[in-house]
Amino acid sequence: MIGFNEVLETNAMISQEKLDVRTITMGISLLDCCDSDLSRMNRRIYEKITRLAGDIVSVGDEIGLEYGVPVVNKRVSVTPVALIGGSACRTQEDFVEIARTLDSAAEDIGINFIGGYSALVQKHMTRADRLLMMSVPKALSCTERVCSSVCVGSTRVGINMDAVRMMGDIIRETSAMTADRQSLGCAKLVVLCNPPDDNPFVAGAFHGVTEGDAVINVGVSGPGVVKTAVSKVRGESFEVLCETVKKTAFKVTRVGQLVAKEASRRLNVPFGIVDLSLAPTPAVGDSIADILHEMGLEKAGAPGTTAALAILNDQVKKGGVMASSYVGGLSGAFIPVSEDSSMIDAVVSGALTLEKLEAMTCVCSVGLDMIAVPGDTCAETLAGIVVDEMAIGMVNQKTTAVRIIPVAGMKEGDTAEFGGLLGSAPVMKVNGFGCADFVNRGGRIPAPIHSFKN
Amino acid sequence: MNRTIITLVGKDHVGIIAAVCNYLAENNINILDIAQTTVQEYINMMMIVDIEGYGKSFGDLCHGLGEVGESVGCSIKAQHEDIFDKMHRI
Repeated sequence: MIGFNEVLETNAMISQEKLDVRTITMGISLLDCCDSDLSRMNRRIYEKITRLAGDIVSVGDEIGLEYGVPVVNKRVSVTPVALIGGSACRTQEDFVEIARTLDSAAEDIGINFIGGYSALVQKHMTRADRLLMMSVPKALSCTERVCSSVCVGSTRVGINMDAVRMMGDIIRETSAMTADRQSLGCAKLVVLCNPPDDNPFVAGAFHGVTEGDAVINVGVSGPGVVKTAVSKVRGESFEVLCETVKKTAFKVTRVGQLVAKEASRRLNVPFGIVDLSLAPTPAVGDSIADILHEMGLEKAGAPGTTAALAILNDQVKKGGVMASSYVGGLSGAFIPVSEDSSMIDAVVSGALTLEKLEAMTCVCSVGLDMIAVPGDTCAETLAGIVVDEMAIGMVNQKTTAVRIIPVAGMKEGDTAEFGGLLGSAPVMKVNGFGCADFVNRGGRIPAPIHSFKN
Repeated sequence: MNRTIITLVGKDHVGIIAAVCNYLAENNINILDIAQTTVQEYINMMMIVDIEGYGKSFGDLCHGLGEVGESVGCSIKAQHEDIFDKMHRI
């Protein structure tokens, strides 16, 4: 039988250390909604999403109540829209209509974000891919809940530089079209390399083509829990530190597994994976940078930060893998700047730069995430930042992503306020030297030699 | 058997456990185990109960216990046992 101390430990994790289930995400295949008639296709998309995910919010809340652990977000990801829109969409505006359908389905089932307004163009682009990509600025400016992602590279096939260059312009245009909201559109747009098919976290979530009709994926969290555990082993060796993180990750992931199985049973949708990511929020005490600080760094960004993050990422995986029957998604530590109060503090105090963040992305689960840069950063420079990150992902056979926000009208040192979970971001300094002749070459970067494993 | 953990924390005074137990008895909820500690003037209590015979929803139970908690000046929480079991047992 459960002991008093075990109950107290779990409840302290929830009430004081902000343990929560960050998201229950239902992946929904829209492949069977394809139609040559746009309005018929939109009807099918709306009907399928609202039919399968109609109860996701109430079920998430019920589970949260019964186990006493907050289920913060309920979300939906769909098949990359560029794959299903080809025969119905002849213009960018046709694709925007699909975005509006996704937005209204998300609103009607009561979720805050829906992912999958996406294109997978790591090798080449179809006409539909290109149309969807060009429609992203409009789609993100006229919808509230739709998130977009574009995969421009993979270890297997290399990097599509035409797409990278286009994304430079698309990010700038998205920024301009949402200038009245501090360029918020860019916070819902992510450029990816090696994206997983089962990622439950927006903005990069989409329902991969290898998935079934519908699936439940769950993202756990708990930076505060890990930080508290690490604070109890101050001054101890790396062996003790690593064991502590591992054991804590195990406990956190077990909660995710429980919630995922329960959500799957109640919604009658198969369980997919638990994503082990440590995801911060702007709330005090829910910070990845605080864990790094507790590990012995004065600030995130100080020498040693990359190693500390590597340890954290690895131990979270080692502890989490045993706690869940299926692990997937991004699974690691997220380092979004705007969503982590101590990361913001590190940037403001000058400890953390864009270049150091790039180094950190070599060992964490994602990439340059929620980073605000001056509004006048040119498209070529944005493409250069993107391709650097894609190269890290391609060569290291890992997921990398760029979610960068050139905030219209702002310059280095200003602060952009996005509100809610997206937080606020100090505008960071960007290396001003040019890379236009490099990114404008066009074509593809070939796959790295170690991708040829057959 | 449908085991639920009830936890209570608050400033200690006469009648807190009695109030909770009365509520449980009135609602056909069987107590399987009780543990409590009092540090300085604060009480910390945990009960394992069986809600098999409770006819209403889990939300009603939380709400009912919340009202009892308010009447005795304590915070009372009910959670399914599974969350503790999964976290602390392999």
